Amino acid sequence: MTTTTHSHSAAPVPAQARASFIPAGSRSGLTFGGILRSEWIKLWSVRSTAWSYAMVVLISLGMAAIMSMALDLQGGASLAVDEQAGLLVQASTFGVFFGQLVVAVLGVLVISGEYSTGMIKSTLTAAPGRLGALWGKAAVLFVTTFVVGVVATVGSFLVASPIMAQDGLSANLFDGAVILPLLGGALFLALLSVVSLGIGTILRSSAGGIAAALGVVLLLPIVLGMIPAQWAMDLLPYTISNAGMGIMGLGGMGPESFEPWQNLLIVLGWLAVSLAGAAILLKRRDA
Amino acid sequence: MIQAQSLTKTYGKKTAVDGVDFTVQPGKVTGFLGPNGAGKSTTMRMIVGLDRPTEGEVTVNGKLYREHRAPLREVGVLLDAKAVHTGRSANNHLLAMAATHGIPASRVREVIELTGLESVARKRVGGFSLGMGQRLGIAAALLGDPATLILDEPVNGLDPEGVQWVRHLVRQLAAEGRTVLLSSHLMSEMAQTADHIIVLGRGRVIADAPVADIISRATSSTVRVRSPHSKHLATLLARPDVTVTNIEQDLLEIVGVTAPEIGDQAARAGIVLHELTTLSASLEEAYMNLTQNDVEYRTGQPAALAGAAATDATGPALQEVSR
Repeated sequence: MTTTTHSHSAAPVPAQARASFIPAGSRSGLTFGGILRSEWIKLWSVRSTAWSYAMVVLISLGMAAIMSMALDLQGGASLAVDEQAGLLVQASTFGVFFGQLVVAVLGVLVISGEYSTGMIKSTLTAAPGRLGALWGKAAVLFVTTFVVGVVATVGSFLVASPIMAQDGLSANLFDGAVILPLLGGALFLALLSVVSLGIGTILRSSAGGIAAALGVVLLLPIVLGMIPAQWAMDLLPYTISNAGMGIMGLGGMGPESFEPWQNLLIVLGWLAVSLAGAAILLKRRDA
Repeated sequence: MIQAQSLTKTYGKKTAVDGVDFTVQPGKVTGFLGPNGAGKSTTMRMIVGLDRPTEGEVTVNGKLYREHRAPLREVGVLLDAKAVHTGRSANNHLLAMAATHGIPASRVREVIELTGLESVARKRVGGFSLGMGQRLGIAAALLGDPATLILDEPVNGLDPEGVQWVRHLVRQLAAEGRTVLLSSHLMSEMAQTADHIIVLGRGRVIADAPVADIISRATSSTVRVRSPHSKHLATLLARPDVTVTNIEQDLLEIVGVTAPEIGDQAARAGIVLHELTTLSASLEEAYMNLTQNDVEYRTGQPAALAGAAATDATGPALQEVSR
C-alpha cells in the first residue's frame, strides 16, 4: 500500500492547444482518387489477386488450345465467314466459363478478407463515408478484371487462330463478330467480380460469400433446369451465368433467346441489386 | 477535443454504453479506465464512426468524425492490433492507408522508423507478434500526424521497453498540444501515463477527474490498529459512520476515524496500542472501490478465499479486474 504514483505532473502543457495539425494550404485530404489508389495498392498487395488473375488467363489460353485442337474440321475454309468467326470465338471464350468461377471467388475475397482479418476497421476509419470505399473497390476490381479478361480472351484468340488455321479456318480479330464477343466475355467477368464484391459485402464472410456467389453462378441454373415447371424454364435465361454467356452471343436458350445487349442488361440488373444491397447494409450496419 | 453527449449504444437488450457525457481536453493524456465490458472500446468505436450511437452523439473538434475533410489527419486511432489484413506487408498496409488521404510515402517511412518496424516492414503481418502488431497499429494512428489520438489498450502485448516507449510517446504527443485518449483496464498503467481519468463501469461514467482527485475521492483511508484490548477499543469507537473490521484477534482495520483520534481515545481509556498506522490506498485500490459494483464479468471466487482479504468491501470483484 503506497501513496499515489503519479510521477509526471510536471509535463509542460502548452497554453494554446493546437486544434488541427493540417498544415495551412495543404491539399491533402480524403479524396475519391486517393481511395482508388489505396484500393489499387490493397488489391495487388495480397497474393490471392495475382494467383486468381493468372488462373483466369492460363485457363482461358489452355482451353482455347484444347478446343481448337479438338475441332477436326477438314476443309474449314469452305464454311461461311461468320461460321468461321463463330467457331473461333467459341474456342476463344470457352475459358470464360471457368474464369467466372475464379473472379466470383476473388470478388468476394476482396471485401470478406477485410472482414475476417479486421482490416475493414482500418478501411472504414480512413474512409468514414463508407460508400466511397465500396465504390472504390468496385471500380478498381471492375477495371482490373476487365483488362485481365481482355488479355484472356484476346490472348485465347491468338492461341486458337494458328491452330485452327491448319484446318483452313480464319477470322479477323477486329471484325465486329469477333472482337465484340471477346470484349463481351471480359466485360462479363468484370461485372461478375463486382456482383460478387456486393455478395461478399452483404455476407461479410469468406466461406459464406464464396458459397453464395458460386451458388448463384453455378447452382442456380442447374436447380432451375431440374424444376419441371414452365416458370423455372422462363427464369433460366435470367440467371447471371446464362445471361453472361449470352453477352458473348453463346448459349442461346431456345428460339427466343436474348440479344447480347439484352443479356448485358440482365447482368447489369444483377449488379444493381447486389451493389444496392451492399451499399445499404454497409452504411447501416456497425463495422 | 472529444465531446460526448448522452452517448448510448445498445446491442439488442444489452446496453453497452449508457448515456455517457464527457469531454477529453487537448494537451493532456486522458485515461479511459474500466473493467472488461465497461464500454471503453464501444465508446472509442463510436468516436470514429465504426459503431453508430443508439442515442446521443460524439464529436471530435466540434464535428462528427465522418464530417471531417481529412479524418486521418484529424484523428489517429488504434482500436486493436488486428485491424490489418494478415496477407499484406506492414509497409503496403501503411501505404494503402496513406494513399486515401494523399499522405506521401516519406511519411510512411517516418512512422515505420518511429515505431521501430524497419526490419519487418516488408514481411506479411500474419507473422507478427502481438507487440509488433501494436507497433504497426500505432504507426497507422500516427500516419496523418493527427491532432487527436485514440489508443485502445496500446501497451497490450508490448515488452517492458515497448511499454516505456508508448508512455513516453503519449506524454510527448499531449505536450505538443494534442488530445490523447487511451484506454486500459490496468490502473497502474494509467497512474504512470494519464493526467486525467474517466472511469467507466457498466457503460456509465463513474468518475471523471484528475488522477489525484480520483484517488482522494475514492479512498477513505484506513487505519490499522494493533492492541491486546482490541475488543474494548472497537466498542469505544463504535459510531454509525465508523467501520471496524476485526482482522485478527488483536488487529483492527478502522475506516471513518483518523489515527490521532484513535490514539487519543485509546489513551483516555488507558488502552495499550502496539501499532497505529494510516494506510492510504493506492490508485489501484481507488479503482477497485470505484468499480467494484460495476464489474461485468465476475470470477466466481469461493467466499473463504475472498475472506482472506478480510475487508469485504473489496471482495470477489478484484480478481477479474486486476488480472
